[in-house]
Amino acid sequence: MALFVLIPLLPLCASVLLVLGGRWWGEYGHRIGIPAIWLSFGLSVLAFLEVLNNGPFSLSLYRFFQSGSLVVDINLFVDQLTVLLLLLVTGVSGIVHVYSSRYMIGDPGYNRFCAVIALFTFSMVLLVMSGNLLMLLISWEVMGLCSYLLISHWSQRTAACRAATKAFLVNAVADVGFSFGIILTFVTFGTLDIQTILAQAEGMQDHTINMMGWLGWDLQIQPLTLIPLLFFIGAMGKSAQIPFHVWLPYAMEAPTPVSALIHAATMVNAGPFLLVRLSPLIVLSPIAMTVIAIVGATTALFAGLVSLTQSDIKKILAYSTISQIGFMIMACGLGAFVVAIFHLLAHGCYKAFFFLSTGNTLQSVQSARGHGETHPASRGMWPLYGGAFLLACLPPFILFSGPYEALWSVTGFPSATIGFWIMGLVTVFVTSIYLFRSVTSLFVHAPRTYWTTTGQPALEERPVQPQFVDGSILGGLFLATILLGWTLTLFWRWFAGFLAPAVISPGASLGGGGAEAGSLIWIAMTLGVAFAGWVVAFSMHLRSRREGTASGRKKTWLYVLFWNKFYFDEIYDAYVVTPTIQLAHWLWRVIDMRLIDRAIHSIASSSVLFARWLWKIVDIKGIDRLVVGIGQQSVGLSRWLWQVVGVGWLEQKAEQEGSQADVAGPFLEEAEVRTIQHQLLVMILWLVLATGTLYLLV
Amino acid sequence: MAVLMDHLISWMIAVPFLGIATLAFIRDEEWIRRVAFGATMVELALSLLLWGNFDFTRQGMQFVERVEWMPTFNIQYAVGVDGISILLVLLTTLLCPLCVLCSWTAVATRVRAFMSLILLVEGAMMVVFTALDLFLFFMLWEITMIPMYFMIILWGGPGRIAAGLKFALYSLTGSLLMLVGILGLYLEGGYTYDLLVLSEQTYSSTTQFWLFLAFFLAFAIKMPMVPFHTWLPDAHSEAPTAGSVILAGVLLKMGGYGFLRFCLPIFPDASEQFAPFILWLSVLAIVYGGYMALAQSDLKKLVAYSSISHMGFVTLGIFVFNSQGIQGAILQMFNHGVTTGALFMAVGQLYDRTHSRSIQDYGGLHKPMPRFVALFCLFSVASFGLPGTCNFIGEFLVLVGTSSDSFVKVLLAMGGIVLAASYMLWMLQRVVLGQARTPVVSRLPDLNWRETATMIPLVVIVLWVGLYPAPFLNVMDASVSALIQHTTGGHSAAQLALGP
Repeated sequence: MALFVLIPLLPLCASVLLVLGGRWWGEYGHRIGIPAIWLSFGLSVLAFLEVLNNGPFSLSLYRFFQSGSLVVDINLFVDQLTVLLLLLVTGVSGIVHVYSSRYMIGDPGYNRFCAVIALFTFSMVLLVMSGNLLMLLISWEVMGLCSYLLISHWSQRTAACRAATKAFLVNAVADVGFSFGIILTFVTFGTLDIQTILAQAEGMQDHTINMMGWLGWDLQIQPLTLIPLLFFIGAMGKSAQIPFHVWLPYAMEAPTPVSALIHAATMVNAGPFLLVRLSPLIVLSPIAMTVIAIVGATTALFAGLVSLTQSDIKKILAYSTISQIGFMIMACGLGAFVVAIFHLLAHGCYKAFFFLSTGNTLQSVQSARGHGETHPASRGMWPLYGGAFLLACLPPFILFSGPYEALWSVTGFPSATIGFWIMGLVTVFVTSIYLFRSVTSLFVHAPRTYWTTTGQPALEERPVQPQFVDGSILGGLFLATILLGWTLTLFWRWFAGFLAPAVISPGASLGGGGAEAGSLIWIAMTLGVAFAGWVVAFSMHLRSRREGTASGRKKTWLYVLFWNKFYFDEIYDAYVVTPTIQLAHWLWRVIDMRLIDRAIHSIASSSVLFARWLWKIVDIKGIDRLVVGIGQQSVGLSRWLWQVVGVGWLEQKAEQEGSQADVAGPFLEEAEVRTIQHQLLVMILWLVLATGTLYLLV
Repeated sequence: MAVLMDHLISWMIAVPFLGIATLAFIRDEEWIRRVAFGATMVELALSLLLWGNFDFTRQGMQFVERVEWMPTFNIQYAVGVDGISILLVLLTTLLCPLCVLCSWTAVATRVRAFMSLILLVEGAMMVVFTALDLFLFFMLWEITMIPMYFMIILWGGPGRIAAGLKFALYSLTGSLLMLVGILGLYLEGGYTYDLLVLSEQTYSSTTQFWLFLAFFLAFAIKMPMVPFHTWLPDAHSEAPTAGSVILAGVLLKMGGYGFLRFCLPIFPDASEQFAPFILWLSVLAIVYGGYMALAQSDLKKLVAYSSISHMGFVTLGIFVFNSQGIQGAILQMFNHGVTTGALFMAVGQLYDRTHSRSIQDYGGLHKPMPRFVALFCLFSVASFGLPGTCNFIGEFLVLVGTSSDSFVKVLLAMGGIVLAASYMLWMLQRVVLGQARTPVVSRLPDLNWRETATMIPLVVIVLWVGLYPAPFLNVMDASVSALIQHTTGGHSAAQLALGP
C-alpha cells in the first residue's frame, strides 16, 4: 500500500534531479523523466486494480502542522475517481514526455523543460490524490506556477512572457475564491479533511454564519451555499470558464507538448475534478448547482461560437477546450457527475492526440516550406491525416452514444431544465462545425490561409528540428484513444457503477435506468444535430473556397464580435489592469510622496526653523550675553577684589576667564547649525512636549 | 560545558562583541572578513544549540539569567527566551553570516568598520530579543539604530544622507515615545523594569490607554505600519545590501516582537480596545503596500514596499488574539525575514554587477544568469505566498485567524496577495524574461560559488517551512497559548473604556 506514495513521488524526484543536475544531464534529461512517469503510470494501474478489488484506501504521511484547532495532516486518498484521473494524467503525461524528448531536442532549455513538465505531472497527481483541502490548494498553485514557467519557456518572446503572467494572474484572482472557500470551510466544519467534510455536510444544511458580525449587522448566510460557489470560482480560473477564460488561448504560447499537457491531462481538468470530488457538498445547494450549470453552459456555447471564427489552429483548439470543459462543468451543475468524468477522460485522450498531431503537422509544414515544396501534404502526413479525420468523428461518437443518455435523462434535479438541453444541443452543433472546419483546413487544403506561427519559435533559433512525424508515438496514442473510446462506450454502465461510490448520484435513474426508450430519442437527436453541424460546416467551407476569400462574411458585426472573442481581453485591459496600475501610481505620487512625505518634511523643516529661532533668541541673545555678562561681571568683581584684597593670581585667573568667555561667544556663533546641536534640541523639545502632554493627560 | 549551557544567552550576547574586539587587532582585510564570518557562524551554532535544548512543551521563559545591574533604580540584566523570541533569535543569527558573505566583495572600503557594525547589530539584536528588563531592552533598541544609520550614510547610494537622516529621525521619535512609555510604566508599575513583574499587574484603563499608545507608536514606526512607513523605502533603497537585509530581515521584526512582548501582556485591555483600529490599519497596509509596490520602478523600493504589505499580515495576525493568528504572525515575521532578505541579496547581486537598481535596465536575464534566475524566481514567488513555500503558511494561518474577526478583512487581505502576485510577476517579466535591454546585461556573469552559497540556506528554509512547518509552529505553541490566555483572560477584570 505504501508503494503508491511513489506515484506522486517519482515525478517529483525526477524533477528535483533534473533541476539539481542542471547542465550535467546534457541532452539526456528525458532519460530521467520518461522512466519515472511510466513507472508511476504502472503504479497507477496497480492502484486501479487495488481500488477495483478492495475499494478506496488512504495513506497517511505526516502531520503538516497543528495550530490551535487547525490540524492538517498530509494524507493521500485514493478512490475510484482518483484512480481514473491518475491513469489519464500519468498516461498522457508519459506520452507527452516521450513526444517532447523528440520535439524539444536541441532547445537550450531542454532540461528545464523536462524538469518542469515532470513537476507539472507531480502537482496534478498530488491534486487528484489529496486527502485534504490545504494539500489540494498547494498542488493547485504549484500547477499554476508550472504553467507559468512552461508558457514563458521561450521567454525571449514578449508575447510568451505576457501570456505567462496573464495566465498566473487570472488564476491568482480566481484562487482568492478558492482560498476563501477553504477558510470558510474550516470555520464551518472545523477541519480540512475532505472525507470528514463530505460526511458532515448533510447535517450542516441549516447551519448559518453571520457575515457582517464585525459591523454589528445581522447577515446570516448559509455556508453550504457559499462554500460551493467559492470553490467554483477557483475551478472557473483553472478550467478557464467565463469570465476567467482569457488566459487559456494565450497559453498557446507554450511549446505544443505543454498545450497537450495543459489541455488534456492537467490544469483545466482540475476544475471538473474539484466539483466531482466535492459533489456530496455541492448537491446540497441548489443555488450553487444552478450557477455552475449556467456558467458551464454559457462557456460551452460562447467558446464554441468564438472558435468558429478563429483563424489560428491552436486558438481554435484552445476555444474548443474551453467549450468542452464548459460542457463538463454544465454536466456537474446538472448533477451528472459521472458523465462529467467520462467526458473528461474521453476529452483528455482525444485532445492530447489533437495537440501532438498539430505540433507535428505545423513542424512538417514548416520544414516542407523550407525545402521549397509547394504542398505540405507530403507522404509522411498521410497517417496523420487519416488519424485526425477519424478522431474528428470520434468525439461526437463518444460524447453522444453512451454517457449522454444519462445527461439528457436527468430530470429530477432543479437546475436541469429544458434551457440547458437546448444550449447543450447548440453547443454540440457548433462543436461539430469547428472540428470539421479545423481538421479539413489543416489537413486537406493548403494551409496558407490558416497558417500562423503561434507557439512556434523562429526556425533559426532551434538548430535541430524533427523532420518527420514520430509515427510510433502518435500511433500508440491513437490506438489508446480509440480503445479507450470504445471500451468506455461499451462499458459505460460498468463505468457508472464503478464510479458511483466516489460521487453522489442525485437522480435515481443515473447509470441504472439509462436504457429507457425515451433516451434513445435523445441520442438520435444529438447525433442528428452533430451531423447537421457537419453538413453546415462542409457547405460553408466549400463556399468559402469557391469565393476565394472570406471577406464577405467578415463585414457582419456579429462575426467581428466573435472574431474579437467578445472583447474580453480589451475590457479587462481597459477596466481592470490599466486602472489598477494608474491607481497605484496615483496613490504613490499623491499619498506617499505629497501627503505623508511632505508632512514629515514640513515637520522637520519647521523644527529646524524653530530651533534656529530658539538659537537666535535664547542662545545668542540670552545665554551668550549672559555668559559674556557674567564674564565681564566677574572681571569687574575680580578687579574689585584685587583692589580690595589685592591677590595677584586671582586677577590673572579672572582675566583669563573673561577673555575665554569673549572668545566662546563668537565661536558658538560660527558653529555648524544643522548638526548635532539642533537635533539634540529637537529631541529635547519633543521629549518635553511628550512628557508634558502625558503628565497633563494622565 | 556547564559554563556554556548555564549562560548560553549571555554567551550569545558576548560573542559578537568579542568578535568586534578581535577585529580591532587585525589588519588584513581578508582576515577581517574571515573573523567576522567566523564570529557569526559561532553565533549561529550557539543559537542552534539553544534551539536544540529548548523545551517546546514548557510555557514561560527558559535559559533565564538575572544579575543586579543598577540596584538603585531596580534595573537588572535579565535575559531569557520563550517560544515567541526563539524563532527571531534564530532568524537573526541565520541572516548575519549571510550578510557577511554577501558584502564580502561588495564592501571594499572600511571593511573593518562595516564588519564591526554587522556584529554590533547582531549583538544588540540578541539583547533586544531576549531582554526581560525594559531598561535593558530600551538601551539596546536604541543601539541597533546606530550601526544601521552609519551603514546607510557611509556605504549607501547617492541619496544616503537624506535617507539616513529620515531613518534616524523616525526611529528617534519612536523610541522617545517608547521611553516616555517605559518611564510611565516604571512609575505606575511599582518602580520596577522587570517585564515579568510588570505584566502580572493590572493597570487602570486610562493608564493602559496612554501607555499603550506610546508603545504602539514606537512599534508602529519600527514595523512600519501605514502611515508611518515612508522612511522604509528610502532607507532600503540607499542602504548597502547587507544593511537592507538586516533592516528588512531583523530590525523590522522588533516592532512585531514589541507588540507581542509588551503591548499584549502588559496592556491587555487597551490592546483589545485598539484592536479594531489596528486591524483596519493592517489591512490598509497590506493593500496599500501592494499598490505602492506596483508603482515602483526601482527594484529595492519594490521589495521595500512589499515588506510593508507583509508586515501588515503580522499586525493583522497579532491583534486577532487567537492561536492561528499569532502563530501565523510570528511565522510570517520569520518567513518575511528569509524571503525578503533573500530578495534584497538577489537585488544586491544584480547591483554589484551593473550598479543599477532600475527595473528598466534589465531584461532577459534568464540567458546569461540561469542559476540566479532560478533562485530569484523562487524567492519572488515565495514572497507573494505561493503555496508550498514558507510565506503561504504564515499568511494562511493569519487569514484563518482573521476569519474569526471578519470575513471582509480576509477578502481584502487576499486582494493584497493578488496585488503581490501582480507586482512580483510583473517585475519578473521585465527583469528576468524577454530580451536584454542593453548589451552589458546580456553578458553578465552568473552567480559564483560564494553568492550561491549565500542563497542556498535560504532556499532550504523556504521549502522546509513551506512543506513541513510543524517544527516551527510546535516550538511557539505553548508560549502563544499562554500569551492568549494572559491577554484575553484578563478582560473581565477591568471594564473597557474608550479613552479618558
